[in-house]
Amino acid sequence: MTATVVDALAPVATTIDGRVPPWHGFGTLWLRRLQVTTKTASGIIGQLMTPVLWILVVGPALADSLGSFSPGVDYYTFIAVGQVAFLIPFTAMFSGINVIVDKEFGVTREMLVAPVRRAMIPLANAAAVLTVTFVQVAILVGLGRLRGAHFHTSLTRLPWFLIATALLCLSVYGLAETLALRIGRQEAYGPLIPAIGVTPYFLSGALYPLSVLPAGLQQLGFLLPWTHAVALMRYGLMDGTNPRLDDIWHLGNDPLMAVLSTAVLAAYAALMLTIAVRTFKRTTLS
Amino acid sequence: MTDTTLQLASSPAAPSRDSQDPVQVRDLTKTYPNGVTALQGVSLAAREGEIFGLLGPNGAGKTTAVGVLTTLVRPTAGEAFVAGRSVAADPLGVRRRIGVVFQDSVLDNEFSGADNLRLHARLFGLRRDVADARIDALLRLMDLDGRADDGVRTYSGGMRRRLEIARAFLAGPRILFLDEPTVGLDPEVRNEIWRLIADLRQREGVTIVLTTHYLEEAELVCDRVGILHGGVLVALDTPRRLVDALGDQIIDVRALGDPAPVATALAQTGVGSHPPLVASGSVSMASNAPSGDLADVLGALAGAHAQVAGTAVRRATLNDVYLHLTGAPAVSTSAPKGDSR
Repeated sequence: MTATVVDALAPVATTIDGRVPPWHGFGTLWLRRLQVTTKTASGIIGQLMTPVLWILVVGPALADSLGSFSPGVDYYTFIAVGQVAFLIPFTAMFSGINVIVDKEFGVTREMLVAPVRRAMIPLANAAAVLTVTFVQVAILVGLGRLRGAHFHTSLTRLPWFLIATALLCLSVYGLAETLALRIGRQEAYGPLIPAIGVTPYFLSGALYPLSVLPAGLQQLGFLLPWTHAVALMRYGLMDGTNPRLDDIWHLGNDPLMAVLSTAVLAAYAALMLTIAVRTFKRTTLS
Repeated sequence: MTDTTLQLASSPAAPSRDSQDPVQVRDLTKTYPNGVTALQGVSLAAREGEIFGLLGPNGAGKTTAVGVLTTLVRPTAGEAFVAGRSVAADPLGVRRRIGVVFQDSVLDNEFSGADNLRLHARLFGLRRDVADARIDALLRLMDLDGRADDGVRTYSGGMRRRLEIARAFLAGPRILFLDEPTVGLDPEVRNEIWRLIADLRQREGVTIVLTTHYLEEAELVCDRVGILHGGVLVALDTPRRLVDALGDQIIDVRALGDPAPVATALAQTGVGSHPPLVASGSVSMASNAPSGDLADVLGALAGAHAQVAGTAVRRATLNDVYLHLTGAPAVSTSAPKGDSR
């Protein structure tokens, strides 16, 4: 058996000619992380449970019993969009566990001795988390629409929603990857998932306008990417009668304020991903 | 206790600078941020197509050396070249040309055996048709074709290791690094693993650098070995020449009480090729004297009133070389934990 089989070994031919392309391995690592994530469906479902409950039950109940905080604002739609902002950081933080598992079981080392630039590993992870997030967000928006949310969007407004979704996801995932690499133990990382993934959400204006918060908390809220993401998402998905961007910027110019909040989110995402990549390189090369 | 200054005829020498050897290490030093120096000025070379063994007790620096050569550890000083590429300047070029089997099992538990290989093939940029053909052949060679689609979680330790070896060979590496490849496996599986590695090495023409605690295995499979001790390379040659440099035979004497007088008496016999070595209440001495001279040795011990429980004369092995150089007994039967540095 052995001789005939080994004789059949094909000569090696690779698709890498000369220098290894900068993005080599990105697609493979993205797909691998996506497959790992989908194999643990309980995680994806668990992340969706709370926001789905809000979309289907709590949101309508609050809207029915409390009405709206302001004329012209559909409160159910208001918090339906807010639930998207709940889901994204939670999923991103939750995904940090996969980083620890990969490290614990040595899979990361296998990637480290492949001809792949080190930065591709955390970046591919981030891309996979972003993919999962978009699917989850689509489910939430769809359920919200079915339950009666009044989304008003257009081809020019929708991109703001999608950009806010992507940048918030990448910002928090960058932080999650960094913390997971630094902490390295699931039992120590686990408590940070609700602490970081959920707590800032309450200061973001997802459930109520920021203007009802004390001044200090408002200022704190303005510093968080959550707040800018929520405002951008509402700008992208709700009609223009009550934009929340003005709560942050007070400029009265929606497109300008959307650009400013996008810039803030982009800066967060770039910073957090850069730190994550640097941390990955530092912690994997002794 | 041990004479670590023992000078063997085949002491390590630095490789020449124009060498075409697939693995070249020159004056390599690694000091970790915690201050631990794992390698101190190590120079060695593995030649084309050979199996080169790195031996040494726990903490000797073996895993660090493999880490540097596989671009997982950044050297503090010195240089290392793998397949003609500098590990520091061209790590991607190095990684394209190597295969690695780690000491601990490193498999993606969420996937099947075949999927683990496919992932590796994609990371190494293998063309799809080539990857499929090689995966199929390697799985059959490793006798894993019947379990290829099963999750690796269900694999035994031996199966996991066979799959990892298949994976390391998959992309046609020029150099294969094996860090304690048989640790924790039962003897039958260990023999099988070595047979498979030897078979693939012959057919693929790959150079192999390995670390192991099992010196009888190293003596059997390695063309040359380097012995590390405290981060320093203390010997480098073929196992046979290292053993010959120590002596033809070993005189073992088990002391009843203090072994020091026994060691002194043995040294005074004048038949030793190196000073006696005391370890765990026993004294051993390498010798080139004919075995018929054992009577003289026993007589000398009796004359010295040394308390002796038993004596034996046997052929010297690589284990004796290792013991004389490092002062630490090598593991021969149990499953040791290698140095984690």
